[in-house]
Amino acid sequence: MIWVSNRWKILVMLGPALIVFTMFVIYPLAYSGVFSFTRFQGFGEPKWIGWDNYKALLIDPFFWQSLQNTFVILIVSLAVLIPSSFALAMLLQRTIRGGGALRALVFGPAIIAPILVGLIWVFILDPKIGLLNRVLGAFGTPAVPWIGGNYLTPISVSMVFIWSSIGFAMTIFYAGLQLLPADVLEASALDGASGWQQTWHVKIPMMRETFAIVTILMITNVFKIFELVYMLTGGGPVHRSETLVSYMYFVTFTNQQYGYGMALAVIITVLGAIVSIGYLVAARRKEKLA
Amino acid sequence: MTATITRQEKITVAPRLPTKAGSNGGMRRRRTSRVLAVIAYLVTFLVITPILWIVLLSFQPSSNILGNPLSPAELTLRNYANAITSLPLFRMYGNTIFIAAVSVTVGTAISFMSAFALTRMVFRRRRVQSSVRFYLLAGLAVPVYILLFPVYQLDLALGVFGTYWALILPYVAVSIPFNTLLMTGFLREFPTEIEEAAIIDGVGLWRLCWTVVLPLMKPVIATILIFNVVYVFNEFPFASILINNPDMVTVSLAVSRFQGQYTVDYGGMMAAATLVLLPQLIIYAIFQRQVIAGMTVGAVKG
Repeated sequence: MIWVSNRWKILVMLGPALIVFTMFVIYPLAYSGVFSFTRFQGFGEPKWIGWDNYKALLIDPFFWQSLQNTFVILIVSLAVLIPSSFALAMLLQRTIRGGGALRALVFGPAIIAPILVGLIWVFILDPKIGLLNRVLGAFGTPAVPWIGGNYLTPISVSMVFIWSSIGFAMTIFYAGLQLLPADVLEASALDGASGWQQTWHVKIPMMRETFAIVTILMITNVFKIFELVYMLTGGGPVHRSETLVSYMYFVTFTNQQYGYGMALAVIITVLGAIVSIGYLVAARRKEKLA
Repeated sequence: MTATITRQEKITVAPRLPTKAGSNGGMRRRRTSRVLAVIAYLVTFLVITPILWIVLLSFQPSSNILGNPLSPAELTLRNYANAITSLPLFRMYGNTIFIAAVSVTVGTAISFMSAFALTRMVFRRRRVQSSVRFYLLAGLAVPVYILLFPVYQLDLALGVFGTYWALILPYVAVSIPFNTLLMTGFLREFPTEIEEAAIIDGVGLWRLCWTVVLPLMKPVIATILIFNVVYVFNEFPFASILINNPDMVTVSLAVSRFQGQYTVDYGGMMAAATLVLLPQLIIYAIFQRQVIAGMTVGAVKG
């Protein structure tokens, strides 16, 4: 609309958003990139050290531990979350008394602050006072160190992540199921396809895009897991349960190795982008083959 | 037309379809559907168990929680009395609501202005318009964690550290990409006739934006408000770094300190957790339809 457009008016309209966004997103992004090449402990001048921070990361055992943990969480979460949330959407799509209420209840955990989710699950997972070990104990199982032990924490973190995301993923699948064209489903039913056959050969192939969306979202969300670890174990013992982000937080704000922390932050950002793009490319190639 | 025909056909043809169980098909199907309903109830119950557990234990004296947490003998409200006196409930809610109100209002308003410019105003160079839009949308790919330390430094440099603005400004900034995505998407598909009529009636740019276009965007604005309010209410990483004044704690920040504050007073900790959880769940129960739509629309549109 040319009548209300002159250079000044455009500037006034665009200016505030552009300035705030540039100052608090783009400039910090660049700042992190530059800082990742320096050594800075919070006082004095940052010292340019080239690629040294990145080289140090390569031989930092805690970095590799946190990387491994993040990928364990990623794989366990995706393997459980995608099929179970889809199955749940199929289940809740049937006419069940109180179905709407069930969907709202299952979605519930998604609106609880991650920090509170972490606190709630301390009381489920804690080896001594937690609900899980009490239930297992009633069946005679010895106490399992779900959190605080040497190995199990990433699995437990996936469990909590799945809990808080299943309703969210289910809702997206549910919406996708609602959008499936009824005539195609009726046609396949007429052809004598059983419920299973219809799901495998009609519904899932037609919902490929929905599966891609949910998977990408869950990948990006796993790369953001921080509060859960912060509340459940604080990354311990000796950084054994750290995720990439929680280790970055520790290095930057507890140890105040700002340059090193920013190098880690850059790696996390790049890694998250690579995994997501890699998944998209793989999904598209599969689509072409099919 | 075709749809109605197929539906009719289905009704007449369906009974003749061969079923494995023969004449028992109907009964069998009814039984499966009852079994599936029971599974759905069980799964839902499993999902809400952790929350029920917290609420249940919050009525037990701490001494019982280690030993016999299900004993109904000594149910007590003392934990709540303790939590209410030891928590600055009023202050932490006040702070969070204030920060959320300001940052979401400002973020929505300036995103709206830029979205209007990017979809309705005529630029001398077309390419500038689409690149600015792309520039704002690129923010969707930036993870918040990489911004924490630089924003802290920036707040210090700007002299806003120690004020609410230290937190409000980054909240506004990180909401812009998502707001831009939804608003420009909506405006691009929305016809311009009403606006053109308003301009012919002599309405200026400012009034056009706020009294003509904005009211048309109610559904998108509602989605954006819900999405951003939930984000700000639950946000922890920024708050943990940008707020160091105990009088300015947000709800998330207060929760993160429960473990240190209550140590082994598990009952008190769970009463405090319940006090934080309950208002949120009540609001969710009232607006669940809108909240679910608001939180998932980004996933579907993005």
